[in-house]
Amino acid sequence: MKLLNGTRILVLVSLLLMLMLSIGSAGAQDTVTLTWWTTSGRDSPEPAIRNVIAAFEAEHPHIKVDVSIMAEGAYNDLMSTAIAAGEGVPDLAWYWSNNWLPQALDITDRLDNDPDISRDIFHTEYFNNWVVWNDMVIALPYDIGANFVMYNKDVFDDEGVPYPTADWTPEDYIEIAKALRNEDKRRWGGDRPRGPFRALWRNMGATNPYSDDSTTVEGYINGPESVAAYTWLWDLVDSGATPTPADLEVLGTEGTGPVDLFIAGRLGMATLNPGSMVSTLEAGVNFGVVPEPRVPGNENWVHGWALRAGIWKNSEHPDEAWEFLKFWNGPPGQRILMEQGLGHFPPIPSLLAEYEHADTEWYQGFLTVLDATQTASWRKDHPCWRGAVIRGVRDAWDLIMLGEIERDEVQATLDAMVEPGQAALDECVPRLGG
Amino acid sequence: MRIDPARLSASEQLRRSTRQRRARKLLGHAIIYAVMIALACVFMLPIFWMASTSLKLPRELMAWPPEWIPSNPQWGNYAEAFGKYPLARYMLNSAILVIANIVGALLSVPVIAYGFARFDFPFKNVLFILMLSMMMVPGHIKLIPLYVLYLRLGLIDTYWPLILPSYFGSPFFIFLMTQFMRTIPRELDDAARIDGAGPWGILYRIIIPLCRPALTVVVVFTFLWTWNDFLEPIIFLRDYDSFPISVGLAFFQGRYSIEWHLFMGATLVSIIPILVVYFFAQRHLIGGLAAIGIKG
Repeated sequence: MKLLNGTRILVLVSLLLMLMLSIGSAGAQDTVTLTWWTTSGRDSPEPAIRNVIAAFEAEHPHIKVDVSIMAEGAYNDLMSTAIAAGEGVPDLAWYWSNNWLPQALDITDRLDNDPDISRDIFHTEYFNNWVVWNDMVIALPYDIGANFVMYNKDVFDDEGVPYPTADWTPEDYIEIAKALRNEDKRRWGGDRPRGPFRALWRNMGATNPYSDDSTTVEGYINGPESVAAYTWLWDLVDSGATPTPADLEVLGTEGTGPVDLFIAGRLGMATLNPGSMVSTLEAGVNFGVVPEPRVPGNENWVHGWALRAGIWKNSEHPDEAWEFLKFWNGPPGQRILMEQGLGHFPPIPSLLAEYEHADTEWYQGFLTVLDATQTASWRKDHPCWRGAVIRGVRDAWDLIMLGEIERDEVQATLDAMVEPGQAALDECVPRLGG
Repeated sequence: MRIDPARLSASEQLRRSTRQRRARKLLGHAIIYAVMIALACVFMLPIFWMASTSLKLPRELMAWPPEWIPSNPQWGNYAEAFGKYPLARYMLNSAILVIANIVGALLSVPVIAYGFARFDFPFKNVLFILMLSMMMVPGHIKLIPLYVLYLRLGLIDTYWPLILPSYFGSPFFIFLMTQFMRTIPRELDDAARIDGAGPWGILYRIIIPLCRPALTVVVVFTFLWTWNDFLEPIIFLRDYDSFPISVGLAFFQGRYSIEWHLFMGATLVSIIPILVVYFFAQRHLIGGLAAIGIKG
């Protein structure tokens, strides 16, 4: 009996132990660890990133987020290596490059069937242009940006020039730049466009480099609107009121525009971005924001963008990754990032209205810019523009930038771009589509 | 006592001539020093500009006329830079990597080079050429296979991928060391052998002490390459606190702007160890490189 009791006790203890172990292991299995790669820098400080994760983990105790915070300049190499290797890609990542998009999970159904989040909360154009790819939603947007003209109010006051307004024209731009130019102070009036596409869009609005059905270059790339746009560019270069490409190469800040020249008061106007607003604000410079100038009557276009975070298509935890993604990109995460990183601008209009400096004139100018039609809206449907035809235009652009052609040669120079442009289009359309 | 005027003249002439030679020599030295000081100033300009920028406000960075010595130096920029990112930690990480790599290089390179320089074995030349051919392969090509290898070994986000290769010898250093060892007379080996030394004894008692200039080159170059390495740490490391200083400095470049004043301050501090090492090692380094160049 004693032995029996002892055996029973032993069996009972064993069962109890097994039960406890199974509970323990079940608990361990329930905790999922997600890997998440993102970048930090002036625009998104590391503590803000960790605070978003802490807030998420507090709400989702069964999910842990193992974040790798990298330098901006390091991220592309790492992500490209991991994707090329086909393994070691994190559950969640920042899908900046278009080349990485095929690696992102299609989250269309999750987004459309999740009661916690809706695509309607996002800025429509930024959402459609930046996270919808091949009719699939492959990421969610976070941190939007756009190009606009910032003007230094102190420089304007110094020269007695009235501030620009949202309805200004390309000719206004040149005249103001000339008025602001001051050789004694080594000051230029304004910078010059830094890519061929901008001159076209900025000046002519609806002008396209080729027909909307992607078949014809003749009459578009060298049409009257394009000639007018490039003649305007020639006039701007000829005015001497703008830094040369060599000046910008030496004095500009690579990839981010000449914000340091602008802050120093050596550039009265500069085409910059939201991050520049924060730099300028922190430097104590009195500034304003207006859209890029356009020909009267034309639609207002803007070069805008959104960063995007997505889930790796081979993630072993897509459900948990989705939970984090919608938290990070949704109002809870975006609010923390905006409040703790002054250079973060959420793609959610209702949140943008809560920005710390929302009542300032420059911020209101920025919001106006965001509502303009994006160049990406056209470019998205015309992938051959950037990939192929732009190379043809580049030659005309460089000749004007370097001052190597006369004003009356602009038409002939653009005419010479028709043949290579058409060849590029004919080669590209079967490959990339219209 | 009368002095012969002719002898006086000769002695005076000699003195004059000596004085003139001295003056010419002095002038020559003065010109050489002046040129060298001018060149040194030119080479120091970027570092001086870096120091100057590190003490400015953002609106002063591109101001005209440029201020070489800021009128209101912002010493707080250094505290801000080191407070914003864990740069002290990153410098410590770099130091750990440097020491581990130097130890690895010193343990592996002399032994491998000794084999090539002093022993005959089958396929020695083929192996030497194969080893040399590794120098021709750009590091970027190896990156993806190495990434997969370390990932499968579970070594990603550890320092092992950044340290292990040095324990297997760098082709450049092995080549350098082999050439240097070949210039050491074999009679010294024979003498040591007669005194009872074995192969290891000859290596550690005879060869290595004579290889000090080449070893200095190995140490200094390993230091510089490891301290400045950017690509491999960003591929193999993940933890925010584990990065070396080369990666840490990149945090000052944001998405839309660069905090030049903080970046320059942090960079200036980060190059101090390099300057110190070069300062103390330059005599051996130049001597070592010259010796390898002449004898190799």
